[in-house]
Amino acid sequence: MDISRNTMEVATACATAAVGGIVCYGATQNGIGWNDGPEPGYFPFYIGCLIIVGSLVTIVQTVLRRTSVADIFIDGERLRTVVAFFLPIMALTLVSAWLGLYVGMALYTFYAMRVSAGFRTHTALFTAAIVVAVNFVIFEKIFMVPLLKGPILEYFGIY
Amino acid sequence: MGNFGQLMDGFAVALTTHHVMIMVMGVLLGLIVGVLPGLGAPNGVSLLLPLTFTMDPISAIILLTSMYWGALFGGSTTSILFNIPGEPSSVATTFDGYPMAKQGQAVRALTLAFTSAGLGALTGVIVITLLSSWVASFAMRFGAAEYFAVYFMAFASFIGMAGGSPFKTLVSMMLGFAAATVGIDTISGESRLTFEFDELIGGISFLIAVIGLFGLGELLLTMEEGLKFEGVKAKLDIRTIARTVAEVPRYWVTLVRSALIGCWMGITPGGPTAASFMSYALGRRFSRRGKYFGKGEPEGIVAPETADHSAGSCALLPMLALGIPGSATAAVMMGGLMIWGLSPGPMLFSTRPDFVWGLIASMYMGNIIAVVLVLATVPLFAFILRAPFTVVGPMITIVCVIGAYTVANHVFDIWLALAFGIVGYVFKKLDYPLAPFVLAMVLGDKAEDAFRQAMLTSDGSPAIFFSNPLVSTMMGLGILLLCLPLITAVFKGGLFGRAGDAGAQGRSA
Amino acid sequence: MPSHALTAFALTLTVALPGAALAEWQPNRPVEFVAAAGPGGGTDTFARVVQSALSKNELLTTPIIVANKAGGSGAETFIYAKSNKGDPYKLYFGTQDAYVLPLANKLSYSLKDLTPVAALVFDPFILWVNPKASGIEDVKGFIAKAKEAPGQIKLGGAKAKEADETLMTLIERSTGTDLTYIPYKSGSEAAIQVAGGHITANVNNPSESVEQWKAGVQKPLCVFESERLADKTVIADGMSWNDVPTCVEAGINVPSFAQPRTVWAAADIPPEALAYYVELMTKAVATPEFKGYEERGAQIPRMLTGDAFKDFIKKHEASYAEMYKANGWLKAAE
Repeated sequence: MDISRNTMEVATACATAAVGGIVCYGATQNGIGWNDGPEPGYFPFYIGCLIIVGSLVTIVQTVLRRTSVADIFIDGERLRTVVAFFLPIMALTLVSAWLGLYVGMALYTFYAMRVSAGFRTHTALFTAAIVVAVNFVIFEKIFMVPLLKGPILEYFGIY
Repeated sequence: MGNFGQLMDGFAVALTTHHVMIMVMGVLLGLIVGVLPGLGAPNGVSLLLPLTFTMDPISAIILLTSMYWGALFGGSTTSILFNIPGEPSSVATTFDGYPMAKQGQAVRALTLAFTSAGLGALTGVIVITLLSSWVASFAMRFGAAEYFAVYFMAFASFIGMAGGSPFKTLVSMMLGFAAATVGIDTISGESRLTFEFDELIGGISFLIAVIGLFGLGELLLTMEEGLKFEGVKAKLDIRTIARTVAEVPRYWVTLVRSALIGCWMGITPGGPTAASFMSYALGRRFSRRGKYFGKGEPEGIVAPETADHSAGSCALLPMLALGIPGSATAAVMMGGLMIWGLSPGPMLFSTRPDFVWGLIASMYMGNIIAVVLVLATVPLFAFILRAPFTVVGPMITIVCVIGAYTVANHVFDIWLALAFGIVGYVFKKLDYPLAPFVLAMVLGDKAEDAFRQAMLTSDGSPAIFFSNPLVSTMMGLGILLLCLPLITAVFKGGLFGRAGDAGAQGRSA
Repeated sequence: MPSHALTAFALTLTVALPGAALAEWQPNRPVEFVAAAGPGGGTDTFARVVQSALSKNELLTTPIIVANKAGGSGAETFIYAKSNKGDPYKLYFGTQDAYVLPLANKLSYSLKDLTPVAALVFDPFILWVNPKASGIEDVKGFIAKAKEAPGQIKLGGAKAKEADETLMTLIERSTGTDLTYIPYKSGSEAAIQVAGGHITANVNNPSESVEQWKAGVQKPLCVFESERLADKTVIADGMSWNDVPTCVEAGINVPSFAQPRTVWAAADIPPEALAYYVELMTKAVATPEFKGYEERGAQIPRMLTGDAFKDFIKKHEASYAEMYKANGWLKAAE
């Protein structure tokens, strides 16, 4: 499961080159010429080109460089740690989009406290409640910034 | 000295118990707003605006400016502690502030930042006091070409400083430019790089990129390194604060240089963000300790903070004297002025001297109060850092997610921030510098607009960039700054030679 | 929470019995004002003035939250309105941009996604120059200079292909001149550029340039209205707004080009909510805060609601579509 640094270098450079390609393509839709000053797509087009050039050089440099072939970008265990941290954040976003940010952050805090940090259930519940309450007071009451409420809070008449 | 007499009158206005209370309240609210990314100074000020409708204009502007100072200080706090810049202008503070905090010196880093920021702000206010009328007429001399020259100087001073592979720097900077391009183009009114997605038509917010690249990216790195958050070693010690404050005068060269850069960029349209980047870059190049920049060097904190705050103060002057806001926050305040029935512009100084000088006096007071208050909060933040990372990590995550949402109330922005988080993580591990990305994203579209406006004005002739002494000098300095590192690089053995040992440079930015 | 349950119940009743409750609809939660401009912009000030007029005079007792959605020249605001179909707790503040933006750009919303509430006031446009830097003192001088050197008069304005640039093309066509348009982020930026002598002219609203007029670095040449502005208070050079000639008088045949300050709601909001907001806006316009705003901006106090507003929108949109077509800016033409 180890990913070598060189693999990652090449993969990243390919990704940035692809972004460069998209930028170039997008720019062509705005006109890339110079007509008494640059057209809207002029700068973006050459920016895209420079991204591609930079990425290609990085790929060539990586391939030519032999010394660091053995370097590891990330090993399997660390990768699992990172993914285990990142997936719940994605879940938080998904749930928030669907049921509102307050429900999302309550579930996420509970999960993080109970499962990742290993606190007892009632401690985790208590922390989740505190987090929601503090955020609610700061955003809804003090600064009047409405966060996404979602259908559940709406049902209970909290907007 | 007419100005001095008027300033004294101003102090008489600002130094009432009522106004001092307002300042304390404003600074405290500002701190909260500044600490939460996504809220930030412009948001905070516009949120407080309704409260001011029933106040008299002087109390109202004192409340808003105090909040502004508080937010600026709060933004530096999160930059140092969590690598999340609360404000665009405190991005440069992360470069050395966060490494220093990671070495267990969070208290020292915060104290350094606050003290130098306070000194910078005071310099800015002094400049306003002494030079207000001259500055106003000087700022009028800036047309599109001059604007471009200012941005060009900021880029030029920065371009040679990033260590590591020049091609990675290139990719990073160009990606920043590309991100800044998304949305509707000012000059043509056409939408660019949006590919007909509604979510992209408003452009990519700088804050979203920063929350992802710096905040979430750093969280992932910390996670990978095994749940350790070195800040835990921060010892809560009042003496450290006192000792650090006493340490600051030692960096007087950096202080003076940064304050000058800050005032210059605040008066010209460069603004605080460009000022802090430029000051950091020039500090790195010209300071004797420049080679330690990026590894937790005190001067690397002093330089951007001083420049940021002196520029932030000076930027209020064009707002008052010309009616052009120097920053987003100033724009909100200007809206406030109009609602209170005042018209910002050249006549404000003569029609409402009590207001203008009361405000300037409150800037002295507000900054002093802000420094004292934030220094008092340092132990609190040090305490937060003692909590285990398994607790702090999720809390920072929630702050980042809410922050991303509040920027524009879009769930899409949260996804975007997550994507930037992965980019930030991978880029840092592969030694792609993030600073050029950020600089390009902040100044890229402004520079492009200014360039194209200048071209329209001159019917396509580049001679406009050398058409008067002011713009020629700035362009000349910019070209000089640009060539300096190239020349050095050639002498040191060429670009490719240096690229080989890129990995050894460590994660510097 | 029983009180909330009660309100919810009451709300259901209101929706169920629209006829009986026509005048009774009241917002029972915070109302969001979405401004199609960044903080400090013209529309932002407009929304905040209405906010202050309503809350200071206690015309609306629930909290009012002003949010800015300036992205895509304000299109973001109206796309947001589309996604909040039927939500009566959000009002959207703009100008003619609500119906002009979709003409030139491919956008996912159209006028069908909005319910027009009212146009509260109109901002006139004025042709401004810097008399010292350009040596132009009146419209004749302006036209003469433009004919002398085609393309050499640089006229600045806010954004591209919107009101300012459209107006410039109208000036060009009626005087047979060739001007160069330079877009800036806002009218105040264009004002400073004229004051600093970097460009020749702009077509700002009065409020955007009045301070420079007082300072002697900008001068109003003519106003794009069929009648002179009403205000006779002397502002600068011994002149009042009323002393500024109309452009037709002065020799530019562009009779009327005012900018409405408009309020919208999302499509499909309950009719009683619409009736409530129309009445609320009528009250807001009568407050001293709003009067002060009109005076400072030398605005034209002309309020449009209901069918009159709808008719106006139809005509205004059609006239913009025609001008856009003539300029080759329509999205279909791309």
